[in-house]
Amino acid sequence: MTRVVIFGVGAGLAMLLNAAYAHHSFAIFDAKQSVTLHGVVKEFRWTNPHVFIQLMADGEAGAAAAEWSIELTSPEHLARAGWKPGTLKSGDKVTLVIHPIRDGSKGGQFVSRVAPDGTQIDVPSGAE
Amino acid sequence: MRAALALLLMAAAAHAASPSDERARSFARLPNWSGQWEIVGVTPDAQGGFVQPLDEVVQGMRKWGPPPYKPDVQAVFDKAAAEVHKRSVAAADGTDAPSPGLRPACSFGVPLLMLFSPLMFEILTTPEETAMIFSGREIRHIYTDGRPHTPKDDLWPTSWGDSIGHWEGQTLVIDTIDVSSPPGIGGGGGGPVIVAGGGDNDAVELIATLSSEVHFIERIRMLENGHLEDRMTIIDPQNFTAPWHISRQYTRVTRINRMVHEDCEGEERNPVVDGRFTVAPPPKAQ
Repeated sequence: MTRVVIFGVGAGLAMLLNAAYAHHSFAIFDAKQSVTLHGVVKEFRWTNPHVFIQLMADGEAGAAAAEWSIELTSPEHLARAGWKPGTLKSGDKVTLVIHPIRDGSKGGQFVSRVAPDGTQIDVPSGAE
Repeated sequence: MRAALALLLMAAAAHAASPSDERARSFARLPNWSGQWEIVGVTPDAQGGFVQPLDEVVQGMRKWGPPPYKPDVQAVFDKAAAEVHKRSVAAADGTDAPSPGLRPACSFGVPLLMLFSPLMFEILTTPEETAMIFSGREIRHIYTDGRPHTPKDDLWPTSWGDSIGHWEGQTLVIDTIDVSSPPGIGGGGGGPVIVAGGGDNDAVELIATLSSEVHFIERIRMLENGHLEDRMTIIDPQNFTAPWHISRQYTRVTRINRMVHEDCEGEERNPVVDGRFTVAPPPKAQ
């Protein structure tokens, strides 16, 4: 789902009453930081309200792979952008660019896939 | 022989005038607006934002001209718009929690469904009713059977209001009253608001606030370029000095040819912890 934070402007004019069409705000992710992850898709969860890539990301300096939860938008929006439930499969080797969660846990907001030639795929125009 | 011919003609005449034939002719006069539609200039991306930057979406809506507010309402609106801007920028930067309530807002309502919604929709036309079905599972019911609005003693405010309509040739004219803002947008329950969002963050801009007395008149037709156009007149005697005329266009969705619905209540992966949304691991297989 597309995230839109909506603030209350009714009787409590200056009050921050509520948030987020689309289930929740994406401000939990740090849009100013981009992290590149290499790894293997453990699971591509094609679910409402948001799709997730469960990625076993390579550890640094030979460390063991760790599971990351990478959040995308909804199946509806992805389908309109040409994605399908089978776009990613368990076992696929991928490189993903994400905006990490601000609290440092192993998760992030999907930004793009990186093709073998280094080209970023799925980058929104004007956003990167 | 002559009597038999007369009987045949009478039977044919009776058949031609049958209610089912008249209804079939009514169907035939309706335009073909089948397929899925999306707002031109409001395109969701794979990341959860919009293809268009916020400024582009806002500028597109500013072309409507400013809402014709009464002076006292203008002052209130300006203050609200500034506050929304400040708080949304802070939320997008992560320097302000996006919401103390953290209640999911899963509907847009009228008029946002038509003006600023990333949800695709279908339009089903019948002689008696046109239904607009949005992927967020909101539905607008527009009754075109000649009925008046629902009587006041049987009417209450909803996010979609009470809509009646009629056809002027191939143009659907819709009249909507008794609209309230949906829960999560504008606090819910008050008059509807119009907002714009865009780009890769949570920032939004407030375009207009409307009162609970607002009255919408829409004229929807197909243009020569294949777009649908909604020319909307917003009449708000409580807030405005004059009707406000705005418009939106819609284009057919091209990469999928069926409706796919969203579900706000689906697999919950974003619980609130210490007042902030988080990302939870996937549920274990049963």
